[in-house]
Amino acid sequence: MKLGPGIRKLLQRPAGARAVEREVDAELAFHVETRIDVLVSRGLTREAADQQARREFGDLRAARAELAAIDRGRLGRERRADWRDGLIQDVRFALRALARRPSFLAITSLTLALGIGANAAMFSVVDAALLKPLPYADPDRLVSVWPTGAMMPGIFVQVRDGTRTMDPIAGYSGGSAVSMSGAFEPARVVQAEATSRFFDVLGVRAALGRTFRGGEDQPGRDRIAVLGNALWQQQFGSDPGILGRSVVVDGISRTVVGVMPHDFHFPSPNIDFWVPVSLDPSPANIGRYWGTSHLNVIGRLRPGVTAQLAEQEAAVLIDRSRASFPWRMSDEWGTGVTVVPLERKVVGDVGPMLLVLFGSVAVVLLIACVNVANLLLSRATAREREIAIRASLGAGRGRIVRQLLTESVILALVGGTVGLVVAAGGVRALLLLMPPGMPRVTEVAIDARVLAFAMATALLTGIAFGLAPALRASRPTLQGALGATRNAGGTLARRRLSEGLVVAQIALGVVLVAGAGLLIKSFWRLHQVELGFRADEVVAADVPIPSFPSDTTPRARAFFDAVLEEVRAIPGVQAAAVASVLPFGGAGSMQSSFATEIEASPTPPGGSAPMLVRTVVSPDYFRVMGIPLLRGRALSDADREGGPAVALVDELTARRLWPNADPIGQRFRAVWMKPWITVVGVVGTVKRDSLSSAGEVGVYLPATHAAGFWFPTQMSLVMRTTAPMSALAPRIRSAVARVDRTVPVTSPRLVRTLVASSAARTRFTVVLLATFAVVALSLGAVGIYGVVAYAVSRRTREIGVRMALGARAGDVLGMVLREGGILAGAGVALGIAGALVASRLLAGFLFGVTPNDPAVFVAVPALLGLVALGACAIPARRASRVDPVVALRSD
Amino acid sequence: MPHTADLALLQGTLDVLVLKALMFGPRHGYAVASWIRDTSDETLNVEDRALYVALHRLEDRGWVEAEWGLSENNRKAKYYQLTTRGRAQLRAETTRWTAYAEAVFKVLRAPS
Repeated sequence: MKLGPGIRKLLQRPAGARAVEREVDAELAFHVETRIDVLVSRGLTREAADQQARREFGDLRAARAELAAIDRGRLGRERRADWRDGLIQDVRFALRALARRPSFLAITSLTLALGIGANAAMFSVVDAALLKPLPYADPDRLVSVWPTGAMMPGIFVQVRDGTRTMDPIAGYSGGSAVSMSGAFEPARVVQAEATSRFFDVLGVRAALGRTFRGGEDQPGRDRIAVLGNALWQQQFGSDPGILGRSVVVDGISRTVVGVMPHDFHFPSPNIDFWVPVSLDPSPANIGRYWGTSHLNVIGRLRPGVTAQLAEQEAAVLIDRSRASFPWRMSDEWGTGVTVVPLERKVVGDVGPMLLVLFGSVAVVLLIACVNVANLLLSRATAREREIAIRASLGAGRGRIVRQLLTESVILALVGGTVGLVVAAGGVRALLLLMPPGMPRVTEVAIDARVLAFAMATALLTGIAFGLAPALRASRPTLQGALGATRNAGGTLARRRLSEGLVVAQIALGVVLVAGAGLLIKSFWRLHQVELGFRADEVVAADVPIPSFPSDTTPRARAFFDAVLEEVRAIPGVQAAAVASVLPFGGAGSMQSSFATEIEASPTPPGGSAPMLVRTVVSPDYFRVMGIPLLRGRALSDADREGGPAVALVDELTARRLWPNADPIGQRFRAVWMKPWITVVGVVGTVKRDSLSSAGEVGVYLPATHAAGFWFPTQMSLVMRTTAPMSALAPRIRSAVARVDRTVPVTSPRLVRTLVASSAARTRFTVVLLATFAVVALSLGAVGIYGVVAYAVSRRTREIGVRMALGARAGDVLGMVLREGGILAGAGVALGIAGALVASRLLAGFLFGVTPNDPAVFVAVPALLGLVALGACAIPARRASRVDPVVALRSD
Repeated sequence: MPHTADLALLQGTLDVLVLKALMFGPRHGYAVASWIRDTSDETLNVEDRALYVALHRLEDRGWVEAEWGLSENNRKAKYYQLTTRGRAQLRAETTRWTAYAEAVFKVLRAPS
């Protein structure tokens, strides 16, 4: 039982599964052979001994498998434990190493924090808008339905009653401003109208009370309202006794039956409350029921039904319903119907914009990574000796790479944590900048998903920027490093790598800056568009029509006459008028267009009637807005009800409707009405709601004449004035109050502001992209500066020799600048190629600029080149001041 | 060699016996088996496969450790040896076993 001499050698752990089995075999073989020896020594033949030994042991094969399984389990556990211990050691080591260089830690982690934070902030917006499922029950089964043309209430009812694929189904129209009064001052609030099953489709319940019941969209049962949580808080002080109380909405008394939870905002966050759409088919309502009232339709697919099936069914139902129109509908109407997941409808068209921004911010992070990678590279060079010593002491390359990667991942995690602070600020800034109409902004927040995204990004970037320097640094350069010859071969390769990184960085910067340049130019072009009216010094305020029990039109007309008289008396107001809708009127004023019949060119049966936007105005409107009268006569106070019906058209309309005739004296009417309206004058064309689109055709009707259908439910007051807004607002309010104190007035706005907000989405994109571009540019400048400065510092000796041999300061300056210039040139060239490809993604956002606009593509590389040269100039000057004596004495 | 008795070993008993066999120094599997058989006057005949499973399990639990060495007959053999934890385990198990066995004896030898 004694151990043989020198046999206590360290047991090497078996390396793999095969080795485990070999050991088990060897162990069992030893046992059996020893037994044979014993048996032979007792007189058995070798053969008999062999047989007996095997018999005694039993199933060798099963034993071998069992033992190997036990050993493999133990080995795996030991490996994991080793790995964990090693990692803890690596982390400790990395923390110590980082703590020794606080400025390095600060610079890198802040760079990364900016990149990761910006990405996390952008992600929170993208996540809310595009990725998160809708916050309703079974959101996958919600669909949106719309036919070519529009969904009128009369058609909706037929689809609702006919569908077998959707249950329930509902229609809504959202976002009209109304006056609400009750226990508080009259206020302008925004209502959505919806059919009775609206809340059931979404599967939401009231926080207090109830939502609509079936049939409450029928006339007579529809005098109810469901309040939004914000309105309930602000106007009713969250009074739970609100249920059963009445509010007056545009003169109609409605009973409050419920209050929605605070996170319910469908269809948009500005909705204050919901009332039933009145599905009233009576003759008095025929124009709305079959014509001007349009519903958005949402439905819940029955289990197992696909959107395609629902679409086929809807197409059949809509085709069948065509015959029920009281007039012949254009053949174009209802030729197609689209049923898509509601999610897609909610997202709308912001997807591409958000993805472009998300892509851009990712590029910023890439550039930040490149900077950090370069810093790590130059640091690794400084640590050559340390690494070489570790390698010579037996640390494998994998172990060294892991050590270095641990360091970069820790850096990235620190960056990610600080980045969350950046992200929180970024989200707040994004929400402030966000243009109106962005989907699901109320759900944008730093939540667990954003947290996970930030940390995952940090981990990934840690590996991304750490891997190349780690692999490079761990390359065996033993002799070189230990031999202290500092310009060994590894250094050159390392410089190549960091130069490559800088070229990539500049290229990415060019792509971003070019994109931003194109958008900035689009934005500028948008601002140069001829509006057709003078937006300066024009102030607008919405004034609803007070409710009158009878004689509505004449009394409303008298109301506005009185209001105009009061407003004109306000000091500083040069002229005042009213209009049913203003150019760029915002959410408060809906453009209403109607199907028109032109006397001179009747619509053939089945053809589509031209749609005209109607604007009902008082005669002074054109003077206030600075819209020129081009032909014929202006409207006047003499155009009274009872006299001939007259209208003005704009030039675009005149050209479209009567291309070869004098528009003066031409007649048109709404398709469902008898009286003809005569064109008496032509005015200048104005942009109505978008700077970039050509505009719709429209007519102006005199408010003094319009009645019935033609008379609007709301007017906007417009004034030409130089008075300051702060003084104006209370005066307008009191002017209206002197006429009728129950009428709420919205706060006055400059028409110029309305125009500017129409470009809000472009501005949002421009501001973000320009910010990213500036960050990219500065990071790029820092990057190229770092690499050139480092190269200069490594070559101090060489420069000293050159100068000692007679090179002048100018020569050295030129040499360094030339080297920096080559890097910049390569980066810019690559970047232009990339930008030419990437700018196609922007094509949809551009206005008046082609994706490869020559001015942008000349200016951007020039700018980048200048920045790069500027960044090189600092180390170049330093190089030119090298003192040969000092340099030669240095290592 | 005929076996005089074939006691079925109670669960866990084999572990104690193996630990005990290693108390005096490193041994390979064959030696452990012989030692148990000889010391129990051939009353306890441990099945070879069970013995090796026990050895590997003990190694897995960290009570014994193994290294390769040369045996007395000049072959490469795997030697097992107690770890500190193994020694403690042996002490604890010996106490527990002794108490248990004495209790069983007491009952069996009680006058009826």
